[in-house]
Amino acid sequence: MKFTITREQLQEGLIAVASTVPTRTTLPVLSNILVEATADGVRLAGTDLDIAVSTVVPAEIEAEGAVTLPAKKLVEIVRELPSAGIHFSASGEQRVTLECGRSRFKLLGIAPDEFPSFPTVSFDNAWKMTSADIQNLISHVVFAASTEESRPILNGVLWEMREDRMRMVATNGHRLARMDIPVSGGAAAADLIVPPKALEQIRKLFGPADEIEVARSDNHLGFRAGSTHIFTRLIEGPYPNYEQVIPRDNDKVVTVDRQALAAAIRRVGVVASDQTHRVRLSFSSGLVKFSVSTPDLGEAEDEIQATYDGEPLEIGFNATYLLELLKVMPTDEVRFTLKAPERAATMEPVGWDDPASYLCLVMPLRLVD
Amino acid sequence: MGRIVILPDAVIDQISAGEVVERPASVVKELIENALDAGATAIEIALEAGGKTSITVSDDGTGMDRDDAVLAIDRHATSKIKSASDLIGVATLGFRGEALAAIASVSKFELETAPDEDDASSEATRLIVEGGRLKDVQQTARRRGTTVRVRRLFFNAPARRKFLRTPATETRATVAAVSVLAFMRLDVSFKLTNDGRSLTDAPRVSALGDRIESLFGRSLAEGLIPVDHHAGNVSVRGFIQRPADAKPTGRKAFLFVNGRPFRDPFVVRAAEAGYRATIHPGSRPTMFLSLGVPGDTVDVNVHPSKLEVRFRDRRFVEATVEEAVRRALGPIGAAAVVGPGADWLPEAAAASTVAGAGYPPSSPEGSRGSAPSLFGVERYAPAHAEFFVADGGFLQIFDTYIVMQTPDGLAIVDQHSAHERVLYEATMSQLNGEGAPSQRLLLPLTVDLEPRELEAVEQNRAQLDAIGFEVEDFGGRSVVIHAVPNPHPRFDARRCFEEVVADFARGRFGGWNNQLERFAATYACRAAIKAGQVLEQREIGTLLRRLFGCELPPHDVHGRPTIVQLPREELERRFGRS
Ligand SMILES: Nc1ncnc2c1ncn2[C@@H]1O[C@H](COP(=O)(O)OP(=O)(O)OP(=O)(O)O)[C@@H](O)[C@H]1O
Ligand SMILES: [Mg+2]
Repeated sequence: MKFTITREQLQEGLIAVASTVPTRTTLPVLSNILVEATADGVRLAGTDLDIAVSTVVPAEIEAEGAVTLPAKKLVEIVRELPSAGIHFSASGEQRVTLECGRSRFKLLGIAPDEFPSFPTVSFDNAWKMTSADIQNLISHVVFAASTEESRPILNGVLWEMREDRMRMVATNGHRLARMDIPVSGGAAAADLIVPPKALEQIRKLFGPADEIEVARSDNHLGFRAGSTHIFTRLIEGPYPNYEQVIPRDNDKVVTVDRQALAAAIRRVGVVASDQTHRVRLSFSSGLVKFSVSTPDLGEAEDEIQATYDGEPLEIGFNATYLLELLKVMPTDEVRFTLKAPERAATMEPVGWDDPASYLCLVMPLRLVD
Repeated sequence: MGRIVILPDAVIDQISAGEVVERPASVVKELIENALDAGATAIEIALEAGGKTSITVSDDGTGMDRDDAVLAIDRHATSKIKSASDLIGVATLGFRGEALAAIASVSKFELETAPDEDDASSEATRLIVEGGRLKDVQQTARRRGTTVRVRRLFFNAPARRKFLRTPATETRATVAAVSVLAFMRLDVSFKLTNDGRSLTDAPRVSALGDRIESLFGRSLAEGLIPVDHHAGNVSVRGFIQRPADAKPTGRKAFLFVNGRPFRDPFVVRAAEAGYRATIHPGSRPTMFLSLGVPGDTVDVNVHPSKLEVRFRDRRFVEATVEEAVRRALGPIGAAAVVGPGADWLPEAAAASTVAGAGYPPSSPEGSRGSAPSLFGVERYAPAHAEFFVADGGFLQIFDTYIVMQTPDGLAIVDQHSAHERVLYEATMSQLNGEGAPSQRLLLPLTVDLEPRELEAVEQNRAQLDAIGFEVEDFGGRSVVIHAVPNPHPRFDARRCFEEVVADFARGRFGGWNNQLERFAATYACRAAIKAGQVLEQREIGTLLRRLFGCELPPHDVHGRPTIVQLPREELERRFGRS
């Protein structure tokens, strides 16, 4: 294996791949990056076995071949090198020499056949979309997925592909986020349950202008933009029937300033218990009152103005959940809908100039009087 | 007619001996008490055949002159009180003036005594008494002090002699009696031998921990926590065993009031109540507790063997003992220690023994006499609460333990046990109070149960609801859960519910007789963060703050420690810095 590559090209490729390399692993080869000189350029690849990323960067190839090199060291070396051509040459599979100007490094790799093989996903019938659309979905939905391990399905994000829309849904059973984006083009319908970690990589690696192709094999999902691929394993379904739990008869509607609401919750939340973060919200004409009382700690009260003319209602929530929703709500004003103290509440943006539609739902905490 | 006679004194002495003198151990106790009352600083006890053949007790106390010595063996001859009013708050161990007479009446008795050197008429006297009859009074020479030799106990009372047990058993009883007295007076040395073999060798010390060590060995001494508490005019000081070391058998319970040993199952039970929910219900913790109460609120003259006392306000005394134990268990100093903590314990105990006196304290604050106080200990640094729980920088090891710095060293916290303690206390207050906040579920959980488990749900429905499980019968063997508690972000509500219900169905935690406590212990155990769970810094910080906000941070509910500490002293010792 022998090739020359510019420092910038190499660095760009490494940045894409290195974020997938696990920091701690019991399988040594996983802390390495696969460097493969092919006719098309240099292919760099890294994986933590859940997610795999590969990218091809242009280079002058003299001899094809592959090695794996320790990711951390490679990234550090390349960062310190001057902006010039870097010459790679391998004698055998494990000894690699890097030359750049007068600098010279010898690195010891691990044989490339120990590197895990990547899933094969055909992009022939891929869904096509803009990176901006995916980013929009990811940044509004993924946060709601469960991090607790008892229901693996809820650790995933449901991604529904339909003829006229795509939708992402995530929930941990206490709160839920759902977003629809209209699409044209009518690709095949599918329900995919995707690990949030993979979506996080998508968000990081693809720029908003990228055109992205998404394709699935049996149990893997592949993303492609240019010469960069991301693969992830899919979580097996079916996803719970979330539709039936989204309330349709919430008759109490409150419109409120997002920032003011968040600030008030944060203020009273200071004295909420570490355990439950419970705040009590009382809605009455034109007003939301907040109160927290934690035995052994203290009490707090606050209030803000709101547009509301329904019956008075008191309801308890986990402050953390509300703040999470408010953080991702894309507009200055939000609409809260409620029914009763033990029923789900919904929150939506007001006056969003985006074709997407967005709804969050949060289950209350029982209040004790 | 003429059937009633006045008994001769010798017979009366024999009868009263029945109350005072039961066995060699009680003889030894009476003789040691006399020696202590005479200001002895060194007491030697030698038994032959467990005391059945002979008992010799020698002291270096003030001794007696010839006249006093002869009087001493008369009934109701005492130098310690003069009138009934002196009985209230009596400060000596003996006061009835009957022990020597009683002992002498049932044995072959010899007393040798020499009074204080600076007494002008200083010379030694030897008395020989048999079955209560003075046989001879001789003049002799000896160093200051008194030696009493009691041979052939009950030689003239065969019925009583028959009740003596084997020499080994009698020896054991004597060792126990000597221990009690040895705890009262750290400033006196005690030596006990049987047939020439040394059984107790307790030199004079200034710290109780050292005495415990000489009597019971290092490992017991190392496992003790200091107690020091007072409420109203009752004080409680001493040492108790770490919950983790308490076993169902082999417990030692030593109680003292105003420096006087006593037995009282209710006070012991009160102390055990202080351990509630830190030890397994069957475990019996060792305790050395010294109560100080105003002399006029305790009656020590209840029974001739003087081991029973009567408190004027028993309820308050018991409540104070319970509270004292509870408080002692709270500080992080009560956590288990890594390494030989021996250097650490006596130091803690020694810290204030110099404060002097308190034998017997007439009131918690007041003190008199010059003997070092036995149970004086400084309260260990109050390490509760958030003072030292930083916001980060915790090290989680093996995904199970958290390592952190404390003001006095290093603490290693078991994340599961710690959370269990936190949840136990929270659950108890929720069960007794307004209930827990409960998170309603978007997707209710359906759980299939066995008949026994369904019954367990039924029996504990109120408690399940109070902690946040809203359970609805679904018909058949299923229940639907609409709302769940949310004790930590990784809480697995279904698993917790299933395990709690299974525990009840199988009668786990059966030792808890209080239903609420049992429920809380079961729930806490099942709901707590598990070992092997990776935690974020923030979560660790929250857990530790909540732990140190607990009433009893260092102990979980099964008698295991939640915290193991490595005191700075121990580190310094190991690195050769001390
Ligand atoms: N070892 C001793 N050294 C000096 N004096 C002693 C000693 N033993 C006994 N005496 C004297 O003999 C008296 C009688 O002792 P005895 O034990 O019979 O009665 P007591 O100690 O006064 O009361 P009690 O019956 O409650 O023990 C004591 O009051 C004390 O003056
Ligand atoms: Mg006496």
